[in-house]
Formats: sequence, C-alpha cells, structure tokens
Amino acid sequence: MCISFTLLYLATSFSQNYSKFWRFSKKETQITKGMKTGPLESGESSSDATPAKLMISVVAVLDFMLRILAAAGTLGSAMAMGTTEETVPLFPQSILLNAEYSDLPMFTFFVIANSVACAYLVLSLPLSFYHIISSAAKSSRIILVVFDTVMLALVTAGASTAAAIVYLAHKGNANANWFAICQQFNSFCERTSGSLIGSFAAAFVLILIIITSAIAISHR
Amino acid sequence: MKSDDHAAIDVPESSAVAKGKAPLIATPREQKSRFKKGLGIFDFLLRLGAIIAALAAAATMGTSDETLPFFTQFFQFEASYDDLPTFMFFVIAMALIAGYLVLSLPFSIVTIVRPHAVAPRLLLFILDTVALTLTTAAGAAAAAIVYLAHNGNPNTNWLAICQQFGDFCQKVSGAVVASFVTVVVLMSLVLLSGVALKKH
Repeated sequence: MCISFTLLYLATSFSQNYSKFWRFSKKETQITKGMKTGPLESGESSSDATPAKLMISVVAVLDFMLRILAAAGTLGSAMAMGTTEETVPLFPQSILLNAEYSDLPMFTFFVIANSVACAYLVLSLPLSFYHIISSAAKSSRIILVVFDTVMLALVTAGASTAAAIVYLAHKGNANANWFAICQQFNSFCERTSGSLIGSFAAAFVLILIIITSAIAISHR
Repeated sequence: MKSDDHAAIDVPESSAVAKGKAPLIATPREQKSRFKKGLGIFDFLLRLGAIIAALAAAATMGTSDETLPFFTQFFQFEASYDDLPTFMFFVIAMALIAGYLVLSLPFSIVTIVRPHAVAPRLLLFILDTVALTLTTAAGAAAAAIVYLAHNGNPNTNWLAICQQFGDFCQKVSGAVVASFVTVVVLMSLVLLSGVALKKH
C-alpha cells in the first residue's frame, strides 16, 4: 500500500512538473504573439526537466511524506502520554493513589514538546508542497532546515527526558532512595513507555527530513 | 553593403591594462568561493569550541564524586556519577561526541581548502545532525535527573538528594549546562553547513 501511494505521488508530481513547464512556455508564446508553436514549445520545455530537477522533485515528495509521518508520530505520542491516568488503592491505609502525566514535570514537558512539534510539522506541510512544485526554491528550503533542526532538538529533548524518568520508574535507584513506581502503576508505566516509541521514531524521521532537504539544497 | 567597417569600433586599451596594473573586479565565482571559505573557517572555529564544551561536560560529570564526612543509618553517604545509569550514559555520550568532533576537524579543513566541494560538506551536515541528536538526548536525560535531584517529587515519593550532596549536585548541574552549550554550537554548525551547501 505504501509503495502504491509513493508511486501515485511520484506520478502526480511529475505530471505537475511537466504541465507547469508546458503552461509556462504557453504563456511565453502568448506574449510573443502569433507564434503558434504550442506542441513544439512543449517538446522543447519537457527537455528542460533535467535529471537533477527530477531528483529534487523526488526528494521533495519524500520530504512531504516523511513530514506527515513525523506529525502522526508526535501526535500519537502526545495523546498517549496525555490521556494516561491510573488510580491504585493502597491497601494498608485504604487511600487511593493517582498517577497522571501532570504529576511529573518531565512528562508535562514531553507532552508540550510533542504538541509543538506536531503543530509545526502540520503548518510546514504547505511550504513542503510548494517545494515539490518549484525545484529552484533554495532560500525557503534553508529556512525550513533551520526550523526542522530546532524541532529535532526539541523532540529529542522531550523524548529523552521522559525516557530517563520512565527508566527510573521501572528500575528505581537504591543509592538515591528512589522507589520504582512501576510496581504499583502497571498500565500507567506501560502506556508512557509506549508513547516514547512514537516520539523517538518521529525524531529519527525528522533527521531523514533534514537530510533530504540538504540533498535538495546541494543539487544544482 | 559593407557594414563590417562601420560596425567594428576600436577601443584603445588603457595604459594601466597594458602595464598589467589594472585592478580586476572579483568574478562572482571568486566572491562565492571567498564567502564559502569564510564559512569554512567559522565552521572550524565553532568545532573547536564544541570540542572544548563536550570535553568539559564529560570531565565535570566524570569527576563529580563526593563522600560525606558523616554517616546515618538510612542514607547513602557517597555519591558518584556511576550510581545513576543516566549519568553514565551522559559521560559516554559526551565523550563520543568529543571524539567525533575531533575526527571531523580534517573534513572541516578540507571544506576550507576546497570551498566548492559538496561531498565533505554534505557528510559533515549529516553526521553533525546525528551528533546533535545524541548530545541533546544525553543533556536532556541528565537534566531530568538533575531536576529531580534538586526538587524531588512528592507524587512519587522521590526525595531531593541535593540537600545532602551539595558539591555533587553543583558539578553535575555544571556538566549539564556545558552539554547544552555543545548543543547550541552543534546546531549553529548544522545551520552553517546548510547555508554553505547552497549553490547560489
């Protein structure tokens, strides 16, 4: 299914590129007035789509799809962490202990960081789509790389902060007298650990996005 | 009609050009290569700064042992970085980053000497992005533990250990700050490489 989606996207982007060149050349003929060489012009302009421009289009399509993937990953992580709540009775004193993401400031930072990254990725989708159409836009690609790097650092920071606390919750620490809370809160621990996977995957996908942007910038 | 004689205009060369002393305006390609050389030199200097910061972070965390002069029945009286696995990961990761940055110095010199070569810059860009991720991960994980050591957490019954181990806490916090300085420098290195990759 993914392969067919990829091929569909490649086909639409190539057809857009060719049709854009043909439409541009048609405008030229209208300006010069009276040169009815439409088919000839299209034949000439389709040879302008050099292999380098095709590669940049392919890379831009890949960038667009990876952005959607990363947005889904961060959104899933934020939602999984944000909706976790567990209440456990403490038998000897018959009181209820509640565990939520807002009890630990590191988990709060994780949810906020992933939400911000998801919002940025969704907002950058139109610019990424514009890069598919126009393969000569270098300055806006650099701006996108700048923001992608900042988001990569943010997502990685959030994910590794939460990972440190999840590790502590699983294992505890005898030297610091920190008790492993996962022994009481089973489902809370499981869900928070699972939401980390989505965030780390999104960070990896962001690295791939930055690399594809660099390849697109460095090509002629 | 012979228009060749009328079309050809004779412009006598200036005496300065004949003597070979006329100032030549730098061609666009020379301007570009000077700009890229400047970027390469700045990249090299930033790399040196990042090496110093990463080594400082690893060394400060690695030498942060503290032994209290008294003892009680309930609390540990010795604190070191290898008591917490997160700090061990921090030391190993920062040492790795410092080693990578030292090994990337020759590639940085190559980008100064050959300003228009794309392959070394692209390689450095990709590796710097990976290094940025690793440094951020190590710094953020250690920062989480340091925050916990300073403030504790009443919901999970985790006590703040900085009350007893003041020196240990200070050194460890300093190491985390140094690692975030490394993160900032690595980020600017990535951005510099991104600008330098552009072929105007």
